[in-house]
Amino acid sequence: MTRPVQIIRPPSFSIREVARHLARLTEYRDLLCTLTLHRINLRYKQSVLGYFWAILHPVLLLLLYTILFSRFASVPTHGAPYAIFAFSALLPWTFFSNGLSGATVGLPAHSNLMSKVYFPREILPLSYVFAALLDLLIASLVLVVLMFYYGYRLTAGALWTIPAMVTLTVFLTGVALFASSLQVRFRDVGIAMPLLLQVWMFATPIVYSRSSVPESLRRWYDLNPLVAIMETFRGALLHGPIPGPLLLTESMAVSLLIAVASYAWFKHVEATMLDVI
Amino acid sequence: MVDIEFHNVSKRYVRREMGASAPAPPLRDRLFQWRTRRDEFWALRDASFQVERGEALGIIGHNGAGKSTILKLLSRITAPTAGEITVRGRLSSLIEVSSGFHSEFTGRENVYMSGVIFGMSRREVIAKLPSILEFSGIGDFIDVPVKRYSSGMCLRLGFAIAAQLNPDILLLDEVLAVGDVPFQWRCLEHIQRMKQDGRTIVFISHDLAAVERLCDRAILLSRGRIVCEGKPQDVTLEYQRSTLLASEPPEHEKGVSRKIECTNFTYQGANRAAGEPVRPGEAMSLRVDYIAHETLRDAVFNVYLYWPSGYLCTQLTTADRAAVVDKGSGCVEFFCPVVNLRPGMFLVDVSVERCAEVVDWRHRCATLRVDEGPVVLGDIYMPHQHSILANRAESCAASRLY
Repeated sequence: MTRPVQIIRPPSFSIREVARHLARLTEYRDLLCTLTLHRINLRYKQSVLGYFWAILHPVLLLLLYTILFSRFASVPTHGAPYAIFAFSALLPWTFFSNGLSGATVGLPAHSNLMSKVYFPREILPLSYVFAALLDLLIASLVLVVLMFYYGYRLTAGALWTIPAMVTLTVFLTGVALFASSLQVRFRDVGIAMPLLLQVWMFATPIVYSRSSVPESLRRWYDLNPLVAIMETFRGALLHGPIPGPLLLTESMAVSLLIAVASYAWFKHVEATMLDVI
Repeated sequence: MVDIEFHNVSKRYVRREMGASAPAPPLRDRLFQWRTRRDEFWALRDASFQVERGEALGIIGHNGAGKSTILKLLSRITAPTAGEITVRGRLSSLIEVSSGFHSEFTGRENVYMSGVIFGMSRREVIAKLPSILEFSGIGDFIDVPVKRYSSGMCLRLGFAIAAQLNPDILLLDEVLAVGDVPFQWRCLEHIQRMKQDGRTIVFISHDLAAVERLCDRAILLSRGRIVCEGKPQDVTLEYQRSTLLASEPPEHEKGVSRKIECTNFTYQGANRAAGEPVRPGEAMSLRVDYIAHETLRDAVFNVYLYWPSGYLCTQLTTADRAAVVDKGSGCVEFFCPVVNLRPGMFLVDVSVERCAEVVDWRHRCATLRVDEGPVVLGDIYMPHQHSILANRAESCAASRLY
């Protein structure tokens, strides 16, 4: 039997190592999988409604926004009913927001575990991301029901949701890794996160559409990678305008860049994470 | 074959947090804190050592000497500041696995979870579940949330998981200090089995006897540096010496008159050089040199021998025969026909007393070492003779053994 040989050195920042880290991460896929399920099981322990919360949460938000933005203030929706217009973007947004806020506080919450045994620490924030992804899958049942109710059909255009979701997941992973590595040292990140998410949500076309944003501001508005993702997602499902492959490609490139850089940064900080946690 | 190699490894911790009582620094300083001078602390400094395959290495030292830092570095919980560590083989520590348990989950769920966290695959955990259950003796409680467990049950379940891990290198950190006696026995048995299987072991403990029993070699750490390395017996003795010599002198040593000053203490076993370890059963002489600054009529010389634990073991005294000590220098000789001390290190106090007055007291002024002799078990060696007499079964009924 061959033995693995490990050489432990002081940590250094290296982008080139990312591929090697990813390869090691696959050896721990069982752990990632277990922790993700654990995350979901734990959330609904001792709760009466259990998994139903995964559906209830976005539905309640949907009701709130529908009343706000279709009754009190009207928002142009390219002819789509407001409920489904909002929900088609609220769904991926909830994924992003839950994943990010969970991952941010995830590392300090597990400091006890981390002080006992080594495993790639990124597994902790990642498990929150994947748990949020599972929640998204459950909640998309509601979207299916809504689409059926309003008479929307799935067309070939719906395939656009796939690159949109991939980009969103990559982007979320990058942001989550960065935020959680900062949170270890500066708890301010976790405190500011709810506010940041609130601002970010209104800077993203979720309760309104991108076309409502004045042309002159759009250059700056589009810098937010979530804009292209959300618009693509919604357009693909509701047969609305899709902002064009260029914008999504751009945001995919940005997301990938952020993810790789964050991962390299995370691995650099990881080695001595427990000294400052 | 070397399994573990430390090459000039150092670990620095930076203390950033201030105590709550410390005055808060101005905001400007806090914002630029990372640029200002930081409070540094070297937990490990230029440590180099190797552990051969199949060897058991003991690491001893005071609290904060850097023992746990070595384990943390080995298990990659933290990274070194400088130097390089090479580890050949799968490594795991026999620690309280149960401390990673989640109280809301059942025992079974926690077994899956912990097993995977500690490096098993899901399939492995499922395969090993029956033996984990059997080993822990938890029974039906396995499907009850862990929050309903007693602490002992948690511990047993945790150990049962740890015992299923199959590492090439085993790290042990004070594991024997927890749990009841049968549990400790089971731990020890498991560790012995691992050792017999030829696994490499790194053992950190304050239990010196356990280190001597289990380890082939030991290192002594002090303030992050390796100060001594060698046979466990030698290293533990060195540790005890450094600990006890550093102990605080007692009250009565202050305010001594020093009319007579003790200047030297030596001991010598029969047929041995002075200061060499003596053996149980041999004869030994001890000698205290003194300088008397005035003539004293009723001076009593005492030599106290202390166990490594600091308890008084025995005393040699001249109190039975009053002696006149003339002004000038001289020496007192004690002769012990049979040394009946157990092998080990003894700490020596020498005193000169006079009625209620302490004339001189030299606290922990020397050590006396007793090597392995003919008898090694028990607290003392009792000199004895023996003869075996056949056909004497009818002897006195009162002395029958029960």
